[in-house]
Amino acid sequence: MVPDTDLDSQDAALAAEGDSGAFERLYRRHVARIHGLARRMAGPDDADELTQDAFVRAWQKIAQFRGEAAFGSWLYRVAISVILGHRRRLAIHRERTAPEEWNREGRPSHERSSEIGMDFDTAIERLPARARHVFVLHDVEGYKHHEIARMLKITAGTSKSQLHRARMLLRATLA
Amino acid sequence: MTDSADTWRDRLSEYLDEALEDSERSELEEHLEGCEECRETLVELRQVVARAGKLVDAPPARDLWPEIAYRIRETEEGERHESRAGTAEAGSSLAGRHGRSFTFSVPQLAAAAVTLVALSSGIAWQIAGGFSARQAEPAVPVAQAPAQTNLLLASRIANNDYESAIAQLERVLNVGRDRLDSATVRKVEEKLALIDKAIDEARQALSADPSNAYLNRYLVGTMRRKLDLLRRTAALTEL
Repeated sequence: MVPDTDLDSQDAALAAEGDSGAFERLYRRHVARIHGLARRMAGPDDADELTQDAFVRAWQKIAQFRGEAAFGSWLYRVAISVILGHRRRLAIHRERTAPEEWNREGRPSHERSSEIGMDFDTAIERLPARARHVFVLHDVEGYKHHEIARMLKITAGTSKSQLHRARMLLRATLA
Repeated sequence: MTDSADTWRDRLSEYLDEALEDSERSELEEHLEGCEECRETLVELRQVVARAGKLVDAPPARDLWPEIAYRIRETEEGERHESRAGTAEAGSSLAGRHGRSFTFSVPQLAAAAVTLVALSSGIAWQIAGGFSARQAEPAVPVAQAPAQTNLLLASRIANNDYESAIAQLERVLNVGRDRLDSATVRKVEEKLALIDKAIDEARQALSADPSNAYLNRYLVGTMRRKLDLLRRTAALTEL
């Protein structure tokens, strides 16, 4: 059986030549993970759209994929860039309309819940935005603080403190 | 909890991640021996990290590929369309950027058409609901319809629902226009002008070749882009 990483490399090369069938196979192998990332980072309402955006962007950039890293890692970076770009665009609009911190679209942070027994994914969605992004990238996806700092344009120290904040808030869901 | 406990409690995540210097780790472990609250917190933090590592990635509830395929094709076609100064061309293979030849199989085209029509009718349905529902649902059952029926349906949507949907959205935008910055308004107006131009061109091309399936899809796709742009902009006025 051919490992997925080899299949990815083959299909990425074909997709770079315009083979949409190969790109669809890449989509099928990776959509669950990208959708999970989008849902946790941006919330369920935007997850479908951001997943689509991420794959469209990946198609547009796939000629730049050189195969040094695994295709999944490269795709993940593309998706994170799309998701964070979406977040930044929303933030620009909210600056004028909502002075308080927002945890995700349409929901102010004070609504974040300490409901006992809440579904863990829901609890993640309700974290304040910065803490949520750091938590997902570090504890769910396994990125290092220096990598997260670069992606989110923050310091590694801020990444560490936001991770601790997120974990402390999520303790309430353990009961 | 004492100040000392507060200080060490703030370092528990770093301890958990083995990111403390040796001397700090020793001090914290010494503190843990005498602080039950910090010990309990540490156990809970470990559980949070463990749960994060066990999260399962479920695929989306609906297949997103047809829409992705459609958007890719639309993008490629749009770029070519612009580079040829607005000449609309039909075909099932398009030369994209980087010299790529982008091809779709017939089933892929059919799937894209189904999704497109579902989305178009879904958007109209959503508008009728006053933007209250974020999840677009088709107003008519199209998922199992054959491709030809979908094209006819698309035509019906284009002729009947489209104009009223556009009019409704434009009214919403006019009311909420002041809530958008001028740069956004300018950009939206520029995009709308381009889309309107593409719609006019597609309609002209269709008047000469009304049964051309590709041109029909292109027209509906462009109209959907207009709806989508208006819908997104209208949503921004509500932020």
